[in-house]
Amino acid sequence: MDRTLTDAALLLVPIAAPLFAAAVYAVAGWGRATAHLGTAAAALILASGIAVAVSVAHDGPLTTLGGWLHADALSAFLLLVIGSVATLACAASPAYLAAERAADEGGSSRRYGALVSCFLAAMCLGTLAGNLGLAWIAIEATTIVTAFLVGHHHTRAALEAAWKYTVICSVGIALALLGIVVLYDAARHAGLSEATALNPAALTAHARALDPAVTRMATAFMILGFGAKAGLAPLHAWLPDAHSQAPAPVSALMSGVLLAVAFSQILRVKQIADAALGPAFSRTLLLIAGLATLALAALLLLAQRDYKRMLAYSSMEHMGLIAVAAAIGTRLALAALLLHIAGHGLAKTVAFTASGHLLQAERTTRIAQIRALATRRPALAGILAAALLALLGLPPFSLFASELGIARAGFAAHLGIPVAAAFVLALVAFAALARHTAAMLLGDDEAPAAGAPPKTAATARLSLAARTPLITGLTAVAALGITAWPINTLLNLAAQGGR
Amino acid sequence: MSADAQLLDLAAGAFLLAAVAILWRRDVRAQTAWLSLQGAALAAIAVILGADQAHPELYAVAAAVGLLRAVVLPALVRRAVTARAEDRESAPLINVGASLLAAVALVLLAYAVAQPLVRLEATTAARALPVGLAVVLIGLLILVTRRKALSQIVGFLLLDNGITAIAFLAAAGVPILVEFGVSFDLLLAVLVLRVLTARMRAVFGGSDLDEMRELHD
Amino acid sequence: MIAALLVSLIQVLIVLLGAPLLVGAMRQLRAVMEGRVGGGVLQPWRDLLKLLRKAPQRPEGTGAAFRLAPLLGVACCAVAAAAIPLISTRTGLDAAADLIAVVALLTLSTAALALAGLDTATAFGGMGASREMTITALAEPAILTAVFALAAKVGSTNLPAIVATTLGHGARLASPATLLAAVALGVVVLAETGRLPVDNPATHLELTMVHEAVVLEYSGPDLALIELGAAMRLTVLLGLWSSLFAPWGVATSAGPTRLLLALAVFAGKTLALGALIAAAEVFMAKLRLFRVPELLAGSFLLAVLAVTASFFLA
Repeated sequence: MDRTLTDAALLLVPIAAPLFAAAVYAVAGWGRATAHLGTAAAALILASGIAVAVSVAHDGPLTTLGGWLHADALSAFLLLVIGSVATLACAASPAYLAAERAADEGGSSRRYGALVSCFLAAMCLGTLAGNLGLAWIAIEATTIVTAFLVGHHHTRAALEAAWKYTVICSVGIALALLGIVVLYDAARHAGLSEATALNPAALTAHARALDPAVTRMATAFMILGFGAKAGLAPLHAWLPDAHSQAPAPVSALMSGVLLAVAFSQILRVKQIADAALGPAFSRTLLLIAGLATLALAALLLLAQRDYKRMLAYSSMEHMGLIAVAAAIGTRLALAALLLHIAGHGLAKTVAFTASGHLLQAERTTRIAQIRALATRRPALAGILAAALLALLGLPPFSLFASELGIARAGFAAHLGIPVAAAFVLALVAFAALARHTAAMLLGDDEAPAAGAPPKTAATARLSLAARTPLITGLTAVAALGITAWPINTLLNLAAQGGR
Repeated sequence: MSADAQLLDLAAGAFLLAAVAILWRRDVRAQTAWLSLQGAALAAIAVILGADQAHPELYAVAAAVGLLRAVVLPALVRRAVTARAEDRESAPLINVGASLLAAVALVLLAYAVAQPLVRLEATTAARALPVGLAVVLIGLLILVTRRKALSQIVGFLLLDNGITAIAFLAAAGVPILVEFGVSFDLLLAVLVLRVLTARMRAVFGGSDLDEMRELHD
Repeated sequence: MIAALLVSLIQVLIVLLGAPLLVGAMRQLRAVMEGRVGGGVLQPWRDLLKLLRKAPQRPEGTGAAFRLAPLLGVACCAVAAAAIPLISTRTGLDAAADLIAVVALLTLSTAALALAGLDTATAFGGMGASREMTITALAEPAILTAVFALAAKVGSTNLPAIVATTLGHGARLASPATLLAAVALGVVVLAETGRLPVDNPATHLELTMVHEAVVLEYSGPDLALIELGAAMRLTVLLGLWSSLFAPWGVATSAGPTRLLLALAVFAGKTLALGALIAAAEVFMAKLRLFRVPELLAGSFLLAVLAVTASFFLA
């Protein structure tokens, strides 16, 4: 088959498949027959991600639709992450929705199915966009489709979270648009044509011709704006609210991949900025944002009383660490960063999905009201414990390897003090997370904490359908931690920032 | 100074004036009227630039921008206003007089910040560019200090109008596909916010954002 | 020189004689729009003549401030009328016709009146004076900033120079700086002349009145002078505004026909502006007093925008 045609097919499938699933959900609704359609679409994303990755590793970047869609190693890697996280989250959705319906709460499943599929399509588009403008459109689209997912439960808190989420993310992303517009202006004056002036590769190639003062302004706006969507300070306020109020699989998708997709735009911006201004400028911005995010997350984790919010702040902590890794910017740091994104995405998906089951079983999100999970629900407790151990960065999980990589890269790049500060803050978060988790899992069943709710729904066991995706996810994180060979080439390519 | 440059300055002035008026008024209906004027001024900027640079594509963009920002979006906000007076901005975080004075500072800041962009090119359009940035900052000011759902939507629209104005004034608009995509996203975002406002009224019995304080640490 | 002095004299006379007519016309228009018969355009003149015939009466214990304020008010407006290029840019007070000086003259009459209000030692006088001064204190920065915006374009604060330059480059009027300054000064003019929405000239409601509270104790010829001063102030400020922002018709030479034409245009412009204000007042309510600072802060903001625009856009 013609190369251009295969390229087009490979890049269009991850966007078209979930859109098709969304259309089916919108028309046919959520039923026994369609419940796993989303999972199928997600698996298709994963499959095409693998195909794109192989193709990129062999023949270099793919481009189609006149450059509007473009896949390099970074986008191929993200596509893999989206595909695997989405497959897990979508596979967990039917069990979650069924339990929700049994408890007679939550919104319409039809809308849930359609919106989640649209969400996946938007994220794939954002990853594969070969144009900063198109990427922006896709990322703003994720805000729009997830607004109602965050407000899925029609409670006061869900409504509040949905409002904050939409307003803060839209405003943040609008600032990124401002940065894109400013960069476009600089690019046009550097002699780039209308079609290529927003193309990251072309911009990097012509970076020397960009006006430095204008590029500096554009970079600051874009890091601030995309940082809002990636959960970086100062526009992070939406994250704990939205993650704690959204249905568990959606929280998993938002925390596991949406943050990463938004952050990948920062990586692209950084590449352009580094070529135009030298690495110091974006490094300073990212270090400030990363350390501020880490500090906020660590402090708020200490006093956390709600386990879903605890997981949300843990996402912020990891994004802060990722921002610090991006600030270091060496090859090792970038490879570790990407591995960290993958590990965090998978582990957080498992953690959020498990927390969803926990919420449905215990009917509370308060840490203080849950005790002795290990004896009462051994399966769920085991999965939750493993996921949290992975998030804490313990071996054999891949987050151990990536955090080690980030630390080594930081010291090698003579950024000892900020990296040490980052890891001290991560340690605080570690301690807080470990203490809260231990409080929930361990303890004496006979002496429940004051004000514990009646344990009516307590008998439901974790079904096989609910358990499979969780265990698969954990296995994948552990496997990645032991050996990264399947994605080694890709990681290397992506970390080079080229091809 | 040519007639085109004059007209452009005039449109940019009207654009900024509308932002100031929106900051000034508390009544959302009045604000939407000014928002319409601002959208018209934005479309006028696009038309003038299209004529100036012999760029007929800009006329189509101008028509779309005018339709969306002068007619559709203000109408969407206006229709969300209920008969009751609850949408009036009765207690902003800082009072209107002080926010007007803050706007003075923001305008000066915008001029200072936009200098690199103005230096890039010595055209009338580029010189008028700080106006767009000033509107962006005024929009942010509204978003931060106003406590009613609809006022925040108005602030968001102001912010977006400012960015579009910068795009026109700096580089005669981003590529047409991107412009349409951005406009479509904006329309959807406003629709989402409107639905959320309606739900908020149903659940909280008002659109006062201070009612929402369940989620905090 | 003689011709220039003559121009100034004509300007003072036309303002002196025409001001009550302008007020009459505005009241008449309002009356018609509100469905009333109205007293006719000449009614203010009739009132003035009636008041002038009465025996002077002053409250016990008042002093020079109370006695001199009405005269000072008329005198300040007369000097301003002589200086502002209302019908020709060649006035007898050419060198002194500085925009800042004119503004200061008008403020002087406000201050004199406020002092007179205090001098009566009544509650209303004091309250009115305090309100009047609050408004002036807020309006003054706006005026001066707007003036600065206009002066920056011409490089001089000399009024005839500004008007002559604008006449030479008519298109400059359409610049954002001028338009913003026009709106800012327009708001200030309304505030300074005690019109809606800042003050209501037609009410004696104690809670809301500003200007009327100050002059409550005046009667007879003094009241006539106060009324005349207020009318002249309105005319002068409207004339100033139209000279700055709509200077068409102002003569640049001293030919008699040109002057006559300019006179007619001036009368027409001022009447049109007055009619506009009167018509707007029919539909407008007075702002609550504590929202007036907001209005004036807005006007100050517009003036600052005008300055930035004149520096950065041009």
